[in-house]
Amino acid sequence: MSVTMCRRFSASIVKKQVVAFTGLFFCLFLVGHLVGNLLILVSPEAFNKYAHALVSNPAIYAIEAVMTILFLTHVVLALKLTRENRKARGESYHLKRNTGRGATFMSDTMPYTGILIFVFLVLHILKLKYGTYYEVTYDGLVIRDLFKTMVEYFRNPLNVAFYIAAMLVVGIHVSHGLWSAFQTFGFNHPRYNGFLRKFSIIFAMVVAAGFMVLPIFCYLQGAN
Amino acid sequence: MSVKYLDGKVPEGPLKDKWNKHKFDSKLVNPSNKRKFKVLIVGTGLGGGAAAATLSELGYEVESFTISDSARRAHSIAAQGGINAAKNYPNDGDSIWRLFYDTIKGGDYRSREANVYRLAEVSNNIIDQCVAQGVPFAREYGGVLSNRSFGGAQVSRTFYARGQTGQQLLLGAYSAMMKQVNKGKLKIHTRMEMLDVVIVDGVARGIICRNLITGKISRHWGDAVILASGGYGNVYYLSTNAMASNASAAWRAHKKGAYFANPCFTQIHPTCIPVHGANQSKLTLMSESLRNDGRVWVPKNKDEKRAPNDIPEEDRDYYLERIYPSFGNLVPRDVASRNAKNQCDVGKGVGNTKLAVYLDFRDAIKRDGREAIEAKYGNLFEMYERINDENPYIVPMKIYPAVHYTMGGLWVDYNLESNLKGLFVLGEANFSDHGANRLGASALMQGLADGYFVIPYTIGRHFAEGVSKVDTNHPAFDEAEKTSKEKLDKLLNIQGTKTVDYFHKKLGQVMWDNVGMARNEQGLRKAIEEIPKIREEFWKDVKVTGDFDNLNMELEKANRVADFLEIGELMARDALMRPESCGGHFRDESQTDENEAKRDDENYTHVAAWEFTGVGKEPIRNIEELKFENVKLTQRSYK
Amino acid sequence: MSDIGLMNLKLKIWRQKNMTTKGKMVDYKLDGVSPDSSFLEMIDQLNEELVTKGEDPVAFDHDCREGICGMCSLMINGMAHGPESETTTCQLHMRKYKDGDTIVIEPWRARPMPVQKDLVVDRTAFDDIMVAGGFVDINVGSAPDANGLPIGKGNAELSMDAASCIGCAACVAACPNASAMLFVSAKVSQFALLPQGEVEKDQRVLNMVTKMDELGFGNCTNAAECEASCPKGIDISNIARMNREYLAASIKAH
Repeated sequence: MSVTMCRRFSASIVKKQVVAFTGLFFCLFLVGHLVGNLLILVSPEAFNKYAHALVSNPAIYAIEAVMTILFLTHVVLALKLTRENRKARGESYHLKRNTGRGATFMSDTMPYTGILIFVFLVLHILKLKYGTYYEVTYDGLVIRDLFKTMVEYFRNPLNVAFYIAAMLVVGIHVSHGLWSAFQTFGFNHPRYNGFLRKFSIIFAMVVAAGFMVLPIFCYLQGAN
Repeated sequence: MSVKYLDGKVPEGPLKDKWNKHKFDSKLVNPSNKRKFKVLIVGTGLGGGAAAATLSELGYEVESFTISDSARRAHSIAAQGGINAAKNYPNDGDSIWRLFYDTIKGGDYRSREANVYRLAEVSNNIIDQCVAQGVPFAREYGGVLSNRSFGGAQVSRTFYARGQTGQQLLLGAYSAMMKQVNKGKLKIHTRMEMLDVVIVDGVARGIICRNLITGKISRHWGDAVILASGGYGNVYYLSTNAMASNASAAWRAHKKGAYFANPCFTQIHPTCIPVHGANQSKLTLMSESLRNDGRVWVPKNKDEKRAPNDIPEEDRDYYLERIYPSFGNLVPRDVASRNAKNQCDVGKGVGNTKLAVYLDFRDAIKRDGREAIEAKYGNLFEMYERINDENPYIVPMKIYPAVHYTMGGLWVDYNLESNLKGLFVLGEANFSDHGANRLGASALMQGLADGYFVIPYTIGRHFAEGVSKVDTNHPAFDEAEKTSKEKLDKLLNIQGTKTVDYFHKKLGQVMWDNVGMARNEQGLRKAIEEIPKIREEFWKDVKVTGDFDNLNMELEKANRVADFLEIGELMARDALMRPESCGGHFRDESQTDENEAKRDDENYTHVAAWEFTGVGKEPIRNIEELKFENVKLTQRSYK
Repeated sequence: MSDIGLMNLKLKIWRQKNMTTKGKMVDYKLDGVSPDSSFLEMIDQLNEELVTKGEDPVAFDHDCREGICGMCSLMINGMAHGPESETTTCQLHMRKYKDGDTIVIEPWRARPMPVQKDLVVDRTAFDDIMVAGGFVDINVGSAPDANGLPIGKGNAELSMDAASCIGCAACVAACPNASAMLFVSAKVSQFALLPQGEVEKDQRVLNMVTKMDELGFGNCTNAAECEASCPKGIDISNIARMNREYLAASIKAH
């Protein structure tokens, strides 16, 4: 790669487009993850078998590796951009207010919601993926009883509250991030802008609400 | 101390061939030699910006100077209406000849035929050039350029970019400059104010500047100096000119020997937003197209207390329609302005200040519907409401005339060269093309014509004749720097009791009252007496705060007002010595039986080119006779 | 004029002697402000008082005072050009304020646009970006007939929308990230929408964006405060256009 090419691809716009691309990828991931997890509403067996199918797929390590890379890229670049942004202001304003016609709470808080999501994700993986390992047997096949892990984890109302709060944060992050990604790639048309903005918010709400169902459902299961 | 008769150096031959012939007769500068010549350009508006781009494209070494933080801020940016050209795209009978004729006639036969013809001739190239630069002119659905009509013409020849034509043309010239900077062929000095021009053996050889941020004074040498520093309308304090618009560059050149031509020719625009109070800093113009549908009136009764909408028809005086039944509200700018002033002078003015007349759209809205009016004038109505907080769809607008443009300026010959060799003057800063009155949409045309298409040819003549090399160590530079510095130091050291604005306002009042829309001997003599008094007081009692070595806007202002205090006096003298009325210059003593401007062609078909003899000393009135070989001089009538 | 309705105000203004000294907020009281005054005339009034007292007046940029030159700036109570939409500071009027109000006035803040004095900032960074590519490379004399190149009204209007930028830098000042994307994209758009600018459009967007980054402006996070603060109502669809132009150009270039 030549020097100019390096510079070209380290340009602010390209960095943003990489963040946008990885962000969009995780929006899709959220949908898949949600749909799969909602199998918990069907039956513990359906849920556990789904989970087993995922981890027993030989490609899982490759997929996890790619996702980790994409995720870290998203985080690292976003942090880098944020740092540059702070630096670009120089001396800060004595008083700075939004006009009310542009920036929103969602757009203002992107770096913070992002960091919170990162923290959440680490805990999420530790507590569930690498949480207590139970086994269950279906038709002679011994697989992990992830359902049990979940129910046990969400028996604690604090964990439920934490999850609900985290999903709110995800919703806030995505509601700006999704349409923002489109804008960053240059999709902007007066006919679709309104739709896209609304779609982002609705998407974020649906995803957040969908994930909130899980801890609540597990909590109710555990209470029985 | 004798009067000189100046030669405009107009080429021989038929009018149509003069410019072509002149271009051919002018010696060329070899391309490889061009880079050896350095040109200094003061001002980055349409004239200066266009010249900077074009001359550097040709290969000259060019340096530009602007007082603003960027070349894009020049006041050309504020022109709203449009730019004329004789393209005849609408097929309505326009031609170079017609544009020439309209401009000469509009200028009330006080401009140089050959210059005006050349202006009309190159007008078409300007439009081509601007389009090629990416200026987004208004277009028709078929993709071709759109035209509209403007005052003083019966054809649609005005090209426009919404109400921001000046902005778009200036940005065109500005991007051409940026292109040349990119190529390393042009250097732009921002926030640099010219303090003096350096003359060596009668030839302009450089300028002295002050960096407005650091206060540092610097010397710059050149093989030619171009002044494109705009007009002097701010001598009136209140005008539609930008706050920083000033006459200092032109005036310093005048004091170094350049003649100042027809300083009394100023244009007053009839439809401006009136003054609201003592703290008013500038006036805002609204397009005169408003008069197409608005009716101008004042109450018949001086002591009228009712709100305008409560005043019944029989108590209103639609004075323009009454006095000029055939042209009505559409009389030319100067006539409309003068009549508004007359009404206010007899106490019929409206509003808090009593210095305004109504411009009423009630009948037009009744006739065409609010939507039609909104489509035509929506943006102007919005601007009016923003400033005046009154809804002009419901309450009649209040308008008043304001100083808008100065036709006078440094005297130049056909080559746009002043009487000082190597000193060229472009745009509003020169006097050449508009005579005693400028038509709408012609200022942009002239600025760009001068910069893009005239100076590139005529400056070559100067170089081809040979210029000796001078550097900034020449004693003339020492002298110029010393006097400039001393003047600024003096301003800082007076430490009197009154602010710069106090004097500027005071001068403005004297100018407006006596050298304004209608002038008479008594008033002019009064001005000539009073202005030196204000000047004297200024130099004794002005208070300039701050220091020399930092950004000091008070010092900048003081330095400019000091010059206004001199130029104002010259304007009064010029007006006094021109007892005829013509264009924007109306002398009460010279009017027809119908109170219209009456020219004195026999005695005053000439340019008055004033020669400086010292501050407070009577200047010499040199003369350039104007010869009209192609048009017949006629009297205007709008009854 | 009558005294009715005159206002007394408290002002907090950033004062800084020059580029090398540190500045601070200073409190002023200003009485007798006419509601018909423009915001800048209010500062004029303060300055007249300061000069009369022998103090250094507040330096601020201004010129045409009709909203087109782009000189005036000012963060007013935390908003670029004050609270009104599509209004420059010079077109903001004091009738929008009440007697007794406190008004905080600060300069634009962005590292590439340092304060030169009080409220005056150095905006030559914008010129630098323009130098990098904000032009059509055509010399005087070589232009074809103006009507030789028909341009659809739609694109001509969009181009004009973008071209109406006055270069005031309110977009940078208002942007939470001090990004210059709206300014740069307006110029890129103006030319990208016209056939005259088509030829060089790839090089233009690459060069202008590279220069913008190099100067140290922030990165756009699509907050749209720029659009909301732009006195000429230039919208962020221009930024989207530049994003895709840049992407396309950088792919094509290799």
